[in-house]
Amino acid sequence: MTKQKSKHHRLDTTPYFMLAPGYLIYFIFIMVPVFYGIYYSFTNYAFYGKPGFVGFSNYRYLLKDSLFIKSIGNTVVYTVFTVIPQMVLGLFIANALNKSFRTKSIWRGMIYMPNVTSMVAVSMIWLWLFDPASGFLNMVLRSIGQSGIDWLYNPDTAMPCIIVVGVWKVVGYNMIIYLAGLQAVPQSLYEVAQIDGAGSVRQFFSITLPLLKPTTFFLLVMNTIQSFQVFEQVSIMTNGGPLNTTTTIVHQIYTRAFLDFKMGYASSMAVILLFVIATATFLNFKFGGDTSDVD
Amino acid sequence: MSTRKIPLPEIIAFFIVALVAILMFLPFLLTISTSLKTMAEVESPEFRLIPESFQWQNYADAMASGNWSRYFMNSLLITSITVCLSLIFNSLAGFSFARFTFPGRGVLFYLILIGLMVPEQVTLIPLFKMMSNFPLFGGNNILGQGGTGLINSRLGLIIPYLAAPFGIFLCRQFYLGFPKAIDDAASIDGASKWRLYAQIYIPSSGPVLAALGVLKTTHTWNNYLWPLILINSDEMYTVQLGLTKFRTAYGVEWNLLMAATILVVLPLLVIFLLAQKHFVSGVVTSGVKG
Repeated sequence: MTKQKSKHHRLDTTPYFMLAPGYLIYFIFIMVPVFYGIYYSFTNYAFYGKPGFVGFSNYRYLLKDSLFIKSIGNTVVYTVFTVIPQMVLGLFIANALNKSFRTKSIWRGMIYMPNVTSMVAVSMIWLWLFDPASGFLNMVLRSIGQSGIDWLYNPDTAMPCIIVVGVWKVVGYNMIIYLAGLQAVPQSLYEVAQIDGAGSVRQFFSITLPLLKPTTFFLLVMNTIQSFQVFEQVSIMTNGGPLNTTTTIVHQIYTRAFLDFKMGYASSMAVILLFVIATATFLNFKFGGDTSDVD
Repeated sequence: MSTRKIPLPEIIAFFIVALVAILMFLPFLLTISTSLKTMAEVESPEFRLIPESFQWQNYADAMASGNWSRYFMNSLLITSITVCLSLIFNSLAGFSFARFTFPGRGVLFYLILIGLMVPEQVTLIPLFKMMSNFPLFGGNNILGQGGTGLINSRLGLIIPYLAAPFGIFLCRQFYLGFPKAIDDAASIDGASKWRLYAQIYIPSSGPVLAALGVLKTTHTWNNYLWPLILINSDEMYTVQLGLTKFRTAYGVEWNLLMAATILVVLPLLVIFLLAQKHFVSGVVTSGVKG
């Protein structure tokens, strides 16, 4: 009896051992770097040599760095003009796809495909489509008697091109999430509405849209976070140009840190990014319906 | 044979969906078309979807232009190791969080939740430094000095991705749904916690492992920013880096570039077409039900 009791009191270490591999990786390669990143942002760290403490001067310099300020503006423009079309189109397609017809999964697969494709490959595809000399878009324009456009080489059209690429890749994701949301809407509501004589447009705005609010909120947060981190197609298709019209926050972080080796300064940009994204994620946790069941 | 009368809204919906799907698929179709043309035909002002004669040779030429078998081997190796180990690590940690109470559990779990808010780009700079000072690798001594560490190594592309707060979180949520009676029955039978995990929980983890596996495969195969920073020699290139390098070298030979692009995308697209259900449910579980 006493033996059993003492056994009961001994701490079982098995749960810790089970936690250890995953947790240590997470702790060492995500948690520790975050704190290091914050520390670096107060130094003049340049990869070689010891970081020297410089107080807030990196942050003060950020406020005067016209390129960084431009990149914030570009990122915000990109975010607004990708998130809205992604959500509207995603909902529109999901709604049409939610009707029962047999070839559904083929069409769904075709729409979702860009999301499986790497951004590098996506960029290559669109580089050709946008190519001024032999690209598809200019070929179409010329065949209807228009002159070609310089797309990625023109400061006025470069950002819209980057935006189109972003939307093309993400619409499928939004469609899938909205489809799941739509399937949770009870069919009986529509039947009642039909009896009451509500048309399908009316049904959409007074049943579907309100009931999809949690899904919409989730996608809004997710898409915003993702758009804010835009880098790959910028890096490959325009490298921030022409005239810095497409440089974004992450593109600036990458350039400053790994091409100029101003790692302390780049860290202060990263801290700003962390702050924005952590806030968005936190809001999702706090106000998003489904994902907030923490204990 | 009787024909079912299809209601009008359904027909309209069908045409909308088909139109959108074809528009979305068009860039892929054009890419395939270009990849099979001669350069003269790519540059000719008259566009035709079906190439005059199919230049299958383009694919061989594109692959012969770089060390592509090496790039594919690297990507395959990195992806398979990352996916397998991360599934074990994440599910083990999630299982521990969900099924046992132990001192410190609450704090440890809240640290995971904080990790969910951290974008990858924020950790890049310190992570790069950590990789260069990784002890006992790349000529480093035990203090991480003297060599290049895990910079320019495949291991450096694998290790940071072996566990993620998101994966641990997702597994925990999944295991929380299991009835407590399973654990009790197993402990009466004298099964250890490890056996409980390996013989009872893992066999019924199909949905969550499929979901995570699919997401992780896509992410690892498609990863670009971290390899771009970490890798600097051709022999360590992943397919994504190979593709960007190919573009710098053969930028205007669109037919070859499009052929290489198709080949880089193909493995994942094949998996996607075979396992579309898992992709969809993976995205949905990770997104909505979280």
